[in-house]
Formats: sequence, C-alpha cells, structure tokens
Amino acid sequence: MDIPKPTANWEKLGSRFYRKIPLYTAVFDPDLELANYLIAAAPCAGAIAVVRDTSENRLTPLRTAATANTKPTIDIYSCAGALLTRLPWDRSRVCALGWSDSEQLVVVGEDGGCRVYDGLLGGDFSPFSLGAEAEEHGVLSARFWSGGFVALLGSGRLVSVASYSEPRPKVLASAPNETVHSWALIAPADSLSRSVEVLLAVGKSIYVVDSSECEDRGLDAGPFRHVAVSPNGRLVALYTDDGKVWVVSSDFQNRLSEYDSKVKSVPKDLQWCGNDAVALAWEDEVHLIGPNGEASKYYYDGWVAVLPDIDGLRLVTNDVCEFLQRVPDVTLETFRLGSTSPASILLDAVDQLEKKSPKADDNIQIIRQNLDEAVDTCIRAAGHEYNIYWQKQLLKAASFGKSVLDFYSSDDFVDMTETLRVLNGVRFYKIGLPISLDQYLRLTPERLIQRLINRQEYLLALKISDYLQLPTDRIYVHWACQKVRASSDTEEMICRTIVQRLKGRRGISFEEIAHAAFDEGRTRLATDLLNCEPRAGKQVPLLLNMKEDIIALDKAIQSGDTDLVLFVLSSLKKKLPLASFFRILNSRPLATALVESNAWKQEQSLLKDMFYQDDRRLDSANLLLSEALDTQETPKRLDKLKMASKLLADSRENTFTVKALDETSKLLREQESLDKDFGPGFIGLSLNATLYKLIRLGGLKRATKLSSSTVSDRIFWWIKLRALVAKRDWTEVEELSKQKKSPIGWEPFYNEVLAAGNLRLAGLFVPKCTVLTVKERVDMWIKCNMLGKAAEEAGKAKDLSTLLELRTTATDRDLREVERWISTLQKK
Amino acid sequence: MVPQAQINTTEISEKARRDLLRLLETVRGKKNLVIQKALAGTLGLFVKFSTLQEYGVDRVFFLENGNIDSSQKNVVFLVRSNKSRDVQAVADQINQLRQNSQVQHEFTTIWAPRRTLISDQILEEAGVLGDVTVYEYQLLFVPLSEDVLSLELDETFEDIYLTKDPTSIFLAAKALMKFQQKCGLFPRILGKGDNAKRLTNLLIRMRSEITAEDAGESSSFLDLTPSQSIDSLIIIDREVDFPTVLLQQLTYEGLLDEFFGISSNTVEVDSATIGPPTGPPQASSSTAAASTTRSLSHKIALDGADPLYSALRDANCAVVGPILNKVARRLQSTYESRHKAAQSTAELRDFVAKLPGYQAEHSSLKQHTNLAEDVIRRTRAEFFTRALEVQQNIAAGADPTSQHDNIEELLARDVPLELALRLLCIYSTFSNGLRTRDYDNFRRMILHTYGQEHLLTLHNLEKMGLLVARTGGGLVGAAAGPVGSTTNYTVVRKNLHLIVDEVNESEPDDIAYVFSGYAPLSVRLVQCVLQKQYLASLSATGGAGGTPAGAGLGWRPFEDTVKLVRGATVDETQTGEEKAVRARQMLNGSVGEAGKTVVVFFLGGVCRAELAALRFVADKLKGQGRGKKLLICTTNVISGDAVVGAAVEHRTF
Repeated sequence: MDIPKPTANWEKLGSRFYRKIPLYTAVFDPDLELANYLIAAAPCAGAIAVVRDTSENRLTPLRTAATANTKPTIDIYSCAGALLTRLPWDRSRVCALGWSDSEQLVVVGEDGGCRVYDGLLGGDFSPFSLGAEAEEHGVLSARFWSGGFVALLGSGRLVSVASYSEPRPKVLASAPNETVHSWALIAPADSLSRSVEVLLAVGKSIYVVDSSECEDRGLDAGPFRHVAVSPNGRLVALYTDDGKVWVVSSDFQNRLSEYDSKVKSVPKDLQWCGNDAVALAWEDEVHLIGPNGEASKYYYDGWVAVLPDIDGLRLVTNDVCEFLQRVPDVTLETFRLGSTSPASILLDAVDQLEKKSPKADDNIQIIRQNLDEAVDTCIRAAGHEYNIYWQKQLLKAASFGKSVLDFYSSDDFVDMTETLRVLNGVRFYKIGLPISLDQYLRLTPERLIQRLINRQEYLLALKISDYLQLPTDRIYVHWACQKVRASSDTEEMICRTIVQRLKGRRGISFEEIAHAAFDEGRTRLATDLLNCEPRAGKQVPLLLNMKEDIIALDKAIQSGDTDLVLFVLSSLKKKLPLASFFRILNSRPLATALVESNAWKQEQSLLKDMFYQDDRRLDSANLLLSEALDTQETPKRLDKLKMASKLLADSRENTFTVKALDETSKLLREQESLDKDFGPGFIGLSLNATLYKLIRLGGLKRATKLSSSTVSDRIFWWIKLRALVAKRDWTEVEELSKQKKSPIGWEPFYNEVLAAGNLRLAGLFVPKCTVLTVKERVDMWIKCNMLGKAAEEAGKAKDLSTLLELRTTATDRDLREVERWISTLQKK
Repeated sequence: MVPQAQINTTEISEKARRDLLRLLETVRGKKNLVIQKALAGTLGLFVKFSTLQEYGVDRVFFLENGNIDSSQKNVVFLVRSNKSRDVQAVADQINQLRQNSQVQHEFTTIWAPRRTLISDQILEEAGVLGDVTVYEYQLLFVPLSEDVLSLELDETFEDIYLTKDPTSIFLAAKALMKFQQKCGLFPRILGKGDNAKRLTNLLIRMRSEITAEDAGESSSFLDLTPSQSIDSLIIIDREVDFPTVLLQQLTYEGLLDEFFGISSNTVEVDSATIGPPTGPPQASSSTAAASTTRSLSHKIALDGADPLYSALRDANCAVVGPILNKVARRLQSTYESRHKAAQSTAELRDFVAKLPGYQAEHSSLKQHTNLAEDVIRRTRAEFFTRALEVQQNIAAGADPTSQHDNIEELLARDVPLELALRLLCIYSTFSNGLRTRDYDNFRRMILHTYGQEHLLTLHNLEKMGLLVARTGGGLVGAAAGPVGSTTNYTVVRKNLHLIVDEVNESEPDDIAYVFSGYAPLSVRLVQCVLQKQYLASLSATGGAGGTPAGAGLGWRPFEDTVKLVRGATVDETQTGEEKAVRARQMLNGSVGEAGKTVVVFFLGGVCRAELAALRFVADKLKGQGRGKKLLICTTNVISGDAVVGAAVEHRTF
C-alpha cells in the first residue's frame, strides 16, 4: 500500500511536532514571478489575491518596461491556483491588499483611495477615501484585521478604519515622526482596550499607538526589522537588526524566548504559525522557530509566500500550496510513533481486524477502561486528518470501539462524519478551499456556504445546505441575481424561470434580485420581480431609484412605516414642483397628515401653499392666527387676523370663527387703548381677565361698557365680584348689595367676602340669600361670628335644638340674645 | 426543544439595561452623555446613574437645554429618532460644538428605538453624518411594574388623534411583534377601534414579512405557530373611550398623577408637602438628590415593590386614610412589643434583624401619609367637588343641559383651563357632541375666559373629536350618531352596566370603584372578553343562560353591544402553518388554559384608574382558578390633563 503514514511530514520542534500538509500542486503559472507581487490570502483558507508590486524597490527598470503597457489587474486565485476573477485596477499604485472576515477584498491605493469588493467574483465595490492627509502624503503601507485596517501615511500618521460597512477613517494618536522600520497591529477584539492598537518599531524601541495615546515601550534592542502579532493577540515576535528573534507578551512585560538565526540577510517576512511558533522566511527558505528557540528549516526551489492563517501558515510557491501547522494533540496521541495511548491501540485494533487477527480483541481488552476516551480521540483525530484514507481508518476505529461499548452517544460520531463530508467536498481541487477543522468551526457552516455562493458553486452550496439542514434562500437569491446579470434570454423568460424556481420558498428576497436587474439596466424585469417581494418596506428604496415615485409612496404607506413614508415624501418634494407634490398628497391622507405635522413644526410656508391649493380655508385661517401669535407687533397681528377673517367670510359654517376672529381684533385694539389709559399689561389678556384687571384698577364703568354686548350678565357679575373683593373695594361691594337682584344670587357674594375676611360685610348678604334653608343661613351667621343674628334666624323658625346648641358657644350680648329666644320659645 | 417562552418583565428591563451598557461600552473612555429629558426618566426605570458612571459617563446633559460643553472628547447623544425636530436638534448641537470647541470631538449618536432613514438624511443635510458613529438602541417596551409595560411614547396621544401620525402604531406593532417572535403568535387578536384595526393589520402584515425574512433562523419556523403561553391579545384604541381618561380619577395613584404628575414612576412634589426628609430618602436616585438641593421640589419613587404603596395605589381615595392608619397602628405595636417581649436574646436578635425592614416601612409610611394628606386636602377643595359632581352627573346620563349653570359658573370663576376643557369634552363625548347653540356659547366662554388664542385649541379639540357640535340635531342626551363613528352611550351604559349605584370602596366588588360609581367602558370591553359570566350576571335578565367563558368566543355574546361602541371591531384568529402546529403539539403536548397570559394593549394611552381596574380584573381572574394572567401594555400612561393638554395652544397674544 502506498498510503503514506500520517507522520511522514511531521517535524519535531523541541517537544512539539509540526506538520506540513501538501494541499495542491501546480498552483500558479510558472511565468508568474511571485517575488514581484503583493500577495494576500483571506482567512480560513480563503482566496488569494495578487497584484503586481510596482513600488520602486521591488521592480527593476527592465521589467517595468515589459509590463508598462499592460493594464494592471488584481487577480484572485483559489488556493489550488484556479484564477477566480481578474479585477481591473485603474487607480494609483496598490500599496496594500487585505481581506475581511467575510472574504471581502480590501485594496488600499497609494493616494488613500480604497475599495472594498463585495462578493468574490462580481467586481462590485464600494470606494472610500482615507482623507485629505492620505491624499497629500500618500499611503506607505497598511495592516489588516478581520474587520478593518490601519494605514501608515507618508506623513507618519496612522489612520484606522474600523468597519467596512460604514468606513470612517479615524486618525490615531500621533507617533514620533521618525522612520518606521516595521509595524503590526493588535486587533480590537484582542487588545486590552478593546480598540485597535498599533505597534510601531521606531528607533530602537516599540511604540504602542491607539486612538488616544502613543506610548513608548522602552525597548533598546532595536531597530526591529519585523514585528508580528500572534493570531490570538497575546504574543509579539520581533526581529532585531542582529538576526535575533524575540518573542514577548503583547503587553511587553515578559520576554518569553530568544532565537539567534545567525543569518546575515534580513528575512523578507516574519509570521506566526498558530499561536506558538514563528516562521522566518527568506526568498526560498523558511525557518520555523518553536516556543523554546528550537528551529527547523524548510527549503524550496522557488520563491515562497508565507500566508498566515488562524491556526497555521499557508506556504505557496508556483508549484505547491502547503499548510504548516502544529500537529493537533489528538492526532499526535493517535499516530505518534510508539504511542501507547488508547486511541492508537484502538486504531491498531482495526488494522488487526482487517487482517482478521484475534489480536483485535486483545487490543480492545487492553484499553477496555479507556475505550470511550479512545473513541472520542479517534473521532476528533479524523476531523484533523486531510487524507481520506486515514479519515476512514480513524472513523472505522471509532465505530469499532463504539460497537463494543454499552452506552455511547453517537452524536459526535455522526456530526464528525457530516463535517468530514463537507470538508472533503470543499477541499476538492476544483473548489479549492483547503479548510482545516478548526478553521471550519471558526468560520461556521453558514459562512462556508456563503463562500461557495460567492464562487458561484451553487450546486455544492445547495447540497451542503440540504445536508446540514441550513436555509437555502441566500443561494437561490444569489443564483437569481447572477441569472439576471448574465442571462441572454428575454426578460420575460428570465422572470418566469426565476419565479418558477423560487416561488414558495421562504426568505427569498426578490428585492435583491430586482435590484440586481435594475443595476443591469433591465428596468422592466426589475419591476416584475419587485412585485413578487412581500415586504413593502424593502421595495421602496429600489422603486425610488427606478423613479417609480408614486408606487414607492404607496408601498411605503402600505408598510405602515412612517419613516419610509417620510423618506419617500422628502425625496418627492425635492424632485417635483410643489403643485404636483400636493396633487400626489391629495388622495393620500396618511401622507398629508405626516407632511402637515412636520411642516407645522418646521416649515410653515409649505403649509400655506398646501392649504391654499387644497382650498382648506379654515386651516389657512388657523395658520394666519398662529402667525399672528408669533409676531409681536399689534398692527401686524391685526392684519393677519383681518386676512383670516376675510378668508372665511363667505362660508356659512365658519360664522363662529369669523366672529371670534373679529372679536379678537376688537379686543386687541381695545387693549391697546387701555394700555395707554391704565398702564401696560393688558395686551395678551383674555377678555375676562381684561375686565377683571380693569375693575381692579378702578375702571368699573369702562369695564361695564366693554362687556355690554359680549359677556353674559352672570359672568360679568362674577368678574365684578371677584375683582372688587380682590381690590378690597368694600364700598363698591356694599353698593352692589343694595341692588334688588343679582344674576348669580347672593350666596357667592357672601362666600367671597367672607373668604376675604370681611365678616361685617359678609353678614350683609345673609338675609338676601332667601332661597337657602334656615339651617344653612344659621350656619352662615355663625361663620360671620354673628351668633345673635343666628339666634334670631333660628328663633323665627322656632328651631329650639339649634338654639340650645348656640347657647354652648355664645358669649356676652349674643348669649343674652340666645337666652331671650330660648325663653320665648319655651314659653309657648 | 425548549417550551415556548413566557413574557417576563424583569427580563425585558434586564435586556434594555444590557443593550444600553453595551452601546456605551463601544465608545472608549470617558464621555459626556446628551439625552432627552423624557428618555432620561425612562432609563431611570432600569439603570442607575452610578452604573452609567461606571461605564464612563462623565456628565449628563439634557438635549432640551442645549448646554453641552467640551469637557470631554467623546460626546454621546441618546435620543428618540421618531421626531425629526429632535434629530435636527442633535445635528444642530453637533455643528455648534464643532464650531465653538477647540477639542476634536468624537461624536456618537444612539437612536432609540431605531435608526431611521430620515435621521440619516437630516444628519447628512447638516453635514455631520460622516463624523458621527451611529447606533440604534431598540428600546421598545419598558416595564413600569411587573404587570405593566409601556412604550413611554409621551406624544402618542397628540400624534395619533390630532396630527394623525401613526408612528406610534407602527412602533407598537414592532414591539408586539417581538412578543410573537419570542412566544409564538397571539392565538387570537381582539380589538376595538379604528386604530386597533390598523394595528392588527400591521401585525398580520409583519407576520407575513417576517416569514419571508427570517428563514435564516431555523427556530422561527416553529415559533410562528400559535403561542402556548399567551391566550390572546386585546387591543383597545383610546378613541373608543375618551370620556374615561377625561374623568377625574379617584384612586390614590390616579390622584397623585392628576395633582403632581407621575413620570417614569416618580412623582415630584414640593418639599413643604412631605416635610423635611428624615434619614435617607429611600429609593430616590442620585439625580433626584441633586435636584432637591437646587429647587424646593422633591422626587419620590413610587415603587410597586413597596408593600405599602402596592396596597395604596389602586385604592379609592376614600379608603386611603384608613389603610394608612392600620399600617401605622401595626408598626406602632411592633415597636412596642420590643419593650414587652424582649425576653430572650434570640428573640431580640430576631427583632433587630427585622429592624431595617421596619424602618423602610416607617419612612414609606411617613411619606405616603404626608402625600395622602395633601391629596385629600385637594379633593375637598370647592372646585374639585363641584367639577366632580358635574362629571358624575353627565357620566350617569343625567340631562347635560342641567349642568350648564354649573359649568358656566366654574368658567366664570376662572378654574384652570384644563379642568374647564375636560368638563366640556366629557359633556361632548358622552352625548355625541353639543347642540350647536350650546357649542358656540361654551366656545365663546372659553375664548373670553382664557384668551382668544384658544381658537386654535378649540379647533384642535374638534379635530380630535373631543369637543364637537352634534351633527343632525337629534334628541338631547339620547343622541345616537351614526353607528361605528360614535358610541351610543344610552344603550351601552345600560347593557354594559357602566353605572353601578352602590359601590363598596373599601371592599370593592366591581371595577366601578375606581371612579366611585362609573365603570370605565374600556375595561368593561376587556371584561366582555374575559369575564363574560360576571358581566352577564350583572343584568338580571341575561342571567338565565350561563355563558361559557374563554377567549375562544371573542366578543360573544356581547357583540351587538360592542358594535354600538365607536370604531371598528376586530376579531382575528391566527393559526400557523398546519405542519408546524402539529409539530409543536407533538413536542409540547397540549397545554391547558392554566397559566396563560392575556395581553391587553391600550393604544393611545391608559390612565391609572384604568390600570387599577384592570388589576382588579386580573385578581378576579386569578381567583377563578383558571390562573389566567393579565399583562397590561400601553403606548404611555396618560391623564385627562394630558389629553386636553395635547390640544392646548401655549402661545398668547
């Protein structure tokens, strides 16, 4: 059998083993001179982007001449070397390439112009700029993390972008303005401060820069030619000028190891391999340095690119693509030469079983105690294995061990077989995603499927989704978008095909497909597709783009989302002449209400036009009234009020309003003259308050005249009473008491005067309250402290018990009066 | 498979708290927080100021004051996004700060409850969008107590009924949708009122949209089946029952709200009212402590968890005194027992351990005694009793023209505008408008008494349908407008027993106790669904046929009466996909009625007296042994003054 042992490509590094797994061969065209390219690989075994590096120090003049007349492109390859797409690049020199976690290519140009490419193949990108400073001084280089990047400018400033969906370049704290020998960053998720930290090798030391400060770490062994941060952000590797590699903790408190490469030439690259080994790379040579300074060396025939990933390194040359990683513990346990772990014995047992040897059972007996552990280990080791033969062998072992156990949950086993099928499927060279188990777990199946979709591997994506019972909507939508873009069928055909295929499936975003159609210029197709979209809200922005304004408005209204309605309205208002804008509003009460309520607060001139056009006179009048309230000058107010009243004059149902408006004008004029005669403070008062104030200031006559036609008698009497009492004008009140009748009765007089404390005057009103009962009147007398009168009242009514009660409280003259009444009553 | 979740109010506030802190955490270092006043109160319900400080908040500014300074580099705005006026204010302040300040500020805005397209547009037009980091904070329902959730949208009433802006309805639908996503569909939606209809339609629409959207989460396929933990949703549109909010509330909490105004569970009173604070004022937040030093007002937290307050809040004010007395006597005797019975050290230790509890109770007692005294003093004022008399006569169906003199006199004596408007609105809503002559008379009186600018106020009230002229003449009092757009109170009053003559205020036996004799129509409607038997038993004639209860029947057997109440009637049954329903049943088995929650949603606001009445209903339901729970949700809590206040014009000539 020529199946190589799994240990064949292991390399011992101190106490640990590393393995280099050959993934693919014949990767790149032999003519491609990797040395002259910028290379970046997406995390988790993603695509590789290469672009010709045209910076001066890389390119010899001769080669420049050869490539000068070809247009520069950015090429994206799969790990297996298949050219996925070729993106044209017409901007300034590319100075850095990077990838986001979701496999978006990020390109940073020398002039600060950046592009984020969505979807791997489409070539759709969103551009943004790093700002004026970048434009002026140019970008030197950039470092990326999963969700953003930091660019180093020619001026020595650092600019960070923390999100690709809303890129906002932020200038970090300024660092010492000296040559930066090398630099790296700690991703926000890994740093203590939860924001990005940049490590700059300047002078002999390292500076740590974040958004607010720049701190010198006080090292003196520099200048450091390379800085690299481990994938988990805890360790930093430094390459000193004298050929040493230092590993320190990322807070620079502990120095963990030191390694002397004894090589004179500075390596071209320093990268971490997983979290505990560092790789030094020269043109065709890679040194792997273990935790305790042990090293192993790999040599290549050609130029080698070192592409770090979360759990290892991808080494790519023109011929091969290899994955260098630490041998996982379970694999080590199972395959290590001379291992006596239960897992390795179990694996051996399967071997024996195939040979039909009874030793198989012996083996099982040996590890009986730890059999479940052995099964688990075999399952996990299978996951880490790339070779399908060994995967099968390990699973067989697990299955065999499992069959011996009485109780064992097979969930892990089943999951792992499923996972392996997926992994093997995507590792196939035509797909070219050599993903490791750890990477797969980190990436999640959903995002793996997204990657397949981006590569337009719809069939495989669908199969995997079905197999793992994941939603398939994204796949269909992407397929449909692609169909819309690329198909040469008639629009009708395309629509029919898509609708047929997608109908009845959940979660299909027809809006997205329609959007793609619209971008492609197929407007009718877009409209047809959009009609299939159940979410009204989703349709609106596209409809606006398509200039289907009215449909957009109606859809927005349907969705019930007022924000959307307002959004459409505001864009309509900008686009259309006012008259047609109002016409659109006319038949849509909700839209009208929204425009109105916003305009009341912000834009009253719009209201004026609207009310005028719709002939809403009452509203126009109200608006004028409101304007009158806003101005301070009386003549202007009067004008507005007059206009308002005129507006309504010839309609019958508004007579009340017209009259009220006219009264308002009259009152204002009256108040103006009162201000002159009686001193300021009348303007702004209500009619009743005006009367009240007037009476208090002694203008009873004028008040009576003013009130004559408008205020009812009852109300005027009340005002008069309250004002006079407040004024303590007792003579005038007494004058009133002489009148025969009061429209409000006399009780209020008694109450108000009493409350003001004038007992004598209050008493004057008691006999006038003829409608009240004797008992109530007695109480009134008592409250005025006129017990004698009370006794008289009670006596006349022959109420003996009340009199007896009075006797207990009365004194002096009152008491005599009470006694007198009691005796007269008792005589009878 | 986990059983479907219940709606848990503490969980909701916990989530709101976590979300807020997480957002604050994204802004590194110290920051100044600019917040709307109203929103600050809402946040106070679930997060303490000291916690915000722990998350780097240095100083808090109110957006309304516009006085943010440049003491910190980071400035965070936390503002509601549903009013473009507020968004504009944020944009203006950012621009102002950028011009005036030497510091290069980092701006962050957090929009609650969502980032809107309009807010982006406004920021963009102001030229600040590029420099602001924008987040959204999905703050929808906030628990006011363990059985009340509120969206705390203060301007809902004005929006829905005056400007006809349905944003709050949309937000309500979003919030209710969250329940459905968590607990499953409301098996039945019952509602009354045109806006209730609108809300129901939105819910149904959103459901189909969610089905289209969320295929990503495999669980949602099962969750959009009828809920096992929720019995039904009852939506009451405020428009259906305006008079109830306009009437003078007579429960303790209602009166506190009427007199002092309760916002976010705190009431602000003059410190003279409650006397000098002895010892630390319990449960008042640190911001409150700061404000006491500045002004003479004092903030008191009304905590439903305080046993004394929970006993008091829903009580009719007539019995508040006796309750306080009882508690005072009990505390007194507990204190005295210490002298008599301090025999063993164990008992003494026991007593000392309980002491802090007694002390808290004691200070709470003191506070509420002071408050109650003030409340009762105010209820004895002449205007109060006169107005109450008018209200109750009209509510009871007396000929409203007999109240004309009373109303006129109150106006002549210059009672507060809100009180006057409330009386007229009650008059108008109960009798479907005023006769044209009376209408004009009263309107003129209002203008004369309070100023001509109130022509706008009156116009607003007319637009809201609160104060209108009767259309088509008709008989006095018995006027019945067209079915659907008006409520025929003559019939409804009788059929649903809105007036209960004998009310036992100390041991209430009917919800009518909250208004001392008038049972709020809104809550009667809820009873139509939940307490059919009880309601039927009230009418001697209908008592014969015992009607089986349960939401399964919808509005029956009251559908004819309900039809006479204004607005559309909603009755929707929601079923999920058949396959999914069966799967769900197999997983859970069928769960009985027990322990299910009925969600009652008041669209447009609920008043505290209604809350009390609903709690009363909830207690009865619990007592019936079927163990249904009531969860009260609303857009906001309102009082009559706020209702008419929405219409009042504040500018003067």
